Amino acid sequence: MIEATKGGGAARAALPSLRGLRAIWHLIPRPLRIILARVALIPMQLFGVLLVTFVLVRLLPGDPALLLLGNMATPDAIAALRQRLGLDQSVWIQFMHYLINVLHGDLGTSIFTSHPVTQDLLERAPATLELITYAMILTVVLGVGLAILSVAGRRYGFDRLTRLYGLAAGALPDFWVGLLLIFFFFHIAGWAPAPFGRLDTYLTPPNTITGFYTIDSLLTGNWADLGSAISRLALPVITISLVNAGAMMKMTQTVFANVYDSSFVQHARACGMPESRIVAMSLKNSMPPIITTAGFLFGFLLGAAVIVETIFSWGGLGQYAVQAVINSDYPALQGFVMVAAIVVLLVYLVVDVLYELVDPRIRI
Amino acid sequence: MRTWLMRPGAAFGAALLLLQVIAIVFAGLLAPYSPTTADPLHTLMPPSASHLLGTDVYGMDILSRIIYATRINLLVSITAVAGAFAIGVPLGLIIGFYSGIPSAIVMRLFDFIQSFPVFVLGMALVSVLGQEIWNVALVLAILFVPVFARLVRAEVLSLRQRPFISAARCSGATDRSIMFRHILPNAMTPALVQLSISVGMAILLTAGLSFIGAGVRMPTPEWGLMVSSGAQQLILGVWWVSLFPGIAIVLAVLCFALLGDELRILLDPRRRHR
Amino acid sequence: MSPETKTQAALEVLDLTVAFGPSASPHIVLSGISFQLGKNEILGIVGETGAGKSVLAQALLGLLPGDGRITQGSVTIAGKPIAAMSEGERRRLRGGTISLIGTNAKALLDPVERVGKQISRVLRIHRPCSRGQAWKETIDLLDKVGIVDPERRARAYPHELSGGMAQRIIIAMALITHPAIILADDATLGLDATVQVQVLDLLVERARQLGVSVVLITHDLGIIAHYCDRVAVMRDGKIEELQPVEHFLAQPQTAYSTSLLGAARAKPTRGDRLAAPVASAETGMDKDRILVVDNLCKTFDIGGGQPPVIAVDRVSFSLERGETLALVGESGSGKTTIGQCLLRLLPPNSGVIRFDGQDIATMEEPKLRPLRRRMQMVFQEPYVALNPRWRVSDLIAEPLDLLDRVPQTERRRRVDELLEMVQLPQHLARAYPHELTAGEQKRIGIARALATKPDFVVFDEPTTALDIRVRAQIIDLIRALQQDMGLSALFITHDLNSVRSLAHNVIVLNRGRIVELGLTEEIFEAPKDPYTRTLLAAELPIEWSDTRRSGAGRSPVVALGA
Repeated sequence: MIEATKGGGAARAALPSLRGLRAIWHLIPRPLRIILARVALIPMQLFGVLLVTFVLVRLLPGDPALLLLGNMATPDAIAALRQRLGLDQSVWIQFMHYLINVLHGDLGTSIFTSHPVTQDLLERAPATLELITYAMILTVVLGVGLAILSVAGRRYGFDRLTRLYGLAAGALPDFWVGLLLIFFFFHIAGWAPAPFGRLDTYLTPPNTITGFYTIDSLLTGNWADLGSAISRLALPVITISLVNAGAMMKMTQTVFANVYDSSFVQHARACGMPESRIVAMSLKNSMPPIITTAGFLFGFLLGAAVIVETIFSWGGLGQYAVQAVINSDYPALQGFVMVAAIVVLLVYLVVDVLYELVDPRIRI
Repeated sequence: MRTWLMRPGAAFGAALLLLQVIAIVFAGLLAPYSPTTADPLHTLMPPSASHLLGTDVYGMDILSRIIYATRINLLVSITAVAGAFAIGVPLGLIIGFYSGIPSAIVMRLFDFIQSFPVFVLGMALVSVLGQEIWNVALVLAILFVPVFARLVRAEVLSLRQRPFISAARCSGATDRSIMFRHILPNAMTPALVQLSISVGMAILLTAGLSFIGAGVRMPTPEWGLMVSSGAQQLILGVWWVSLFPGIAIVLAVLCFALLGDELRILLDPRRRHR
Repeated sequence: MSPETKTQAALEVLDLTVAFGPSASPHIVLSGISFQLGKNEILGIVGETGAGKSVLAQALLGLLPGDGRITQGSVTIAGKPIAAMSEGERRRLRGGTISLIGTNAKALLDPVERVGKQISRVLRIHRPCSRGQAWKETIDLLDKVGIVDPERRARAYPHELSGGMAQRIIIAMALITHPAIILADDATLGLDATVQVQVLDLLVERARQLGVSVVLITHDLGIIAHYCDRVAVMRDGKIEELQPVEHFLAQPQTAYSTSLLGAARAKPTRGDRLAAPVASAETGMDKDRILVVDNLCKTFDIGGGQPPVIAVDRVSFSLERGETLALVGESGSGKTTIGQCLLRLLPPNSGVIRFDGQDIATMEEPKLRPLRRRMQMVFQEPYVALNPRWRVSDLIAEPLDLLDRVPQTERRRRVDELLEMVQLPQHLARAYPHELTAGEQKRIGIARALATKPDFVVFDEPTTALDIRVRAQIIDLIRALQQDMGLSALFITHDLNSVRSLAHNVIVLNRGRIVELGLTEEIFEAPKDPYTRTLLAAELPIEWSDTRRSGAGRSPVVALGA
């Protein structure tokens, strides 16, 4: 994140250094300036992402055309693809071809599903997004909540408990936690539904509005779907949050404790500020690094989703990626990596903008 | 050092490390069975006197496999992190000390690498390079280089501003002396702490990759793979196949996390020689 | 104690003892503290680092950190002992009845909240009123604490304010609830002298007007002499003596107080200094001058589309061999920047720096290196200028690498010699910087600078942030070194007292420019420039003078655009 901020600096520096333009720039309201400076960086970052995903497949030993089409490909199809990718031309031309294809929304065809990768990804995206969104909310609430409790409740010994949790959570493999939760709550207690998909098999999914089953069923008043979707979300979301909230907590703890013990908070105490206001004030001042951490967390959760989706047969992007790995389905893998990176980039963008909005000290 | 070992965290961490070293060195002596020999007559046996931790779906002894897997999991993780450390620390020192266009380019490169979720990129790279144990190590090393380089760079950048560097320059210290005698020792602490923590993270990543089928393959004894091989049976109530290798992972990661925490305390110059 | 005095005291402390650490082996930080604070009285509490002044302030507020606790005695505020109060009552007491003004005001303000809102927030937790009403009262008060354009300033964030302005905001925050007592804990530490007197004048004047009692905690006897009615001298958690300031200054009761006053008043007698070389411009050929600075300029780019800041603006001066020249000015005057340019720790933008005949302003580092053994610097903050991972012996020996190869045994001998020169025991050679006191760290800095037997040394604020007696010791040490080694020295400081003791000539800087230069005596006795006069007027002499008592019409200090 520190680096991302520096990136903003680079963007600012890249702007024409003429006084006049600068004066105009400073006429724009601050929030808009922040957003514009960030958005200007996006094309460059996208270019970087595509370069990496392009190089990724170039690392493959052997003929890319053959690998991209799979072993069942006909010589004609291979020849056609070779031409389309420009494999007989220079690497740069090939990269240009790849860029143009991606910009037209063409990510190739999946070897495993035989569908266009774009279509596969779009179909599966809502499942993953719904999972990650709820996991993110729970992780942040849990992490920040525990951090506040441990710092503000130091004299009651909460900090020892949270330190233990932090250590344990950092050491837990998410796939193992997921399996144990299934074992206890599905096999032994029988409280949780079977770990197969987002909805009980006898139910039909609600009409697609947002793609989130919980929200769509709420909007259409489909209570059976809502209940099922929630109960199916519970274990995977808890798995992801339990494992990742530890990291969130540790990072928040450091930041929050620094603020909580800082001289201005001491002074607020000496001014008779009640404890609730002290905590609120410390939290407000810890916000920028917390926002950054939450942004980072998103990348982790995307990785966790790959594993957890596999365990719970979630049918989202993560499971798709794992299938791609197992089946050497390189177009699908390439597409997934690209989408994941772009989503993370967008999250970082939002995070950076928020960071600069909440801190009046940052000059834009 | 002795008082340091008195701390419960340090003592526990050190004990776990010792346990793992023993498992690595004496695997052949400790393991009651071969880790890779299937026994079709004794599949999915619950823990008993003959198989202390039970057997898996192929009838392989779980305890033996866990002991042997220590070699793979630990050696892969330590090699990967050591490699990343050896490249990342000098790189971070250089790009922190000499701010210029080359350093900026290296930083942008790190930005790109790190804008990919770690697990996703690791999975893709291993899959592309070929699912072999040393490819996993290589990929992990690549993923960890930016971590160390950034950490050291950030430290160097803040150290460069400190008055004692100006004072050293006044005392005639050359660039090289400032870099290696003044900055590097002070910049190392976070990198060393990160070294220990990263080994733990590498263990988790290795196991995770194997779990989804992007790491090593059966019948190699590997903790993640072992957990994965029990996943199907777990729903049916066969808990021992997945449970025990998972515990091994938790303890191994905990060990390096604890040692990292305690290292931070040990390496603080204000705590030394008291 | 008669009931009369009981009702009159705003604050009464009786046999107060505070301990930290385990109850089995407690660490006693305050013991048997007793005093009364009368209505509308200003009580000074003075002491050196570690005397327990700040812990006392925290105990009075009922805000002891960590496991600190009152083990004995009582604190009674407005007739009610705080031990008998509920947590809620104690909270209302803080900021309502007894307000704190702390050190480093900018750090005391919430960085992400507008300052006006912070003040009205304090008002609203102690007295229920509407947002609008609170805001109005805040603006009124800001006006009264001397803030120009209070409406606009109230909407500023703390980082947009100067140190003096932030201190006024803190004072406003303390006054807004009309408290009975104000605790000022080193409230003006780190502020420029001219700003310090403005702030203290304001505080004391408002307090006298509103009938507020004030406890002024400080380590500056000038502040005590100038503003307080009575003084308590603290040492090792005890009050050594407590009496009216007038008597204290004339006849301190304890040997400790006498030594404090002696150290703070240390002034030169003409006899113990070198014969001052005649002011530089008139005599001497260039060969007599070790350093000639001509038209030195240095600017800093601050980015954000703003023009660069001019830190040093066409500064010219020269230094004779054996001369000590003082650069005097407040923060932002460019004095430290000049020092750093002279040693090429910063590259100057333009101008000539001739050291012993060679222009070093643009010299390449490899060529400069042999010259470094002849020019050294003693850095401002002693701790941060020492590598925390090096032992004292290595720190002192580092500059010896500038000399031709020195054998190991010789190095060790030199280290011992240098330790002796700065009057430190030899066993400290094995210590790490964090194990030393601030005074010892400063001496190590001096030893490093002298290791190569340089011709010219820059002393950057050698007396800042040191306790009274340590400060006097360091001045004595530098004076002894001057005499023994015949150093040419540039002495950068804002501590006018030490300039009197050490410098032959003085340069007064204001905003990067030289406003006055000449013989030390002449400048101190007959300053010509108005800025120099302001600077001298802001000095608080340690003597009793009825005419300069606050509230009794002392000449107001001209505001310097704080």
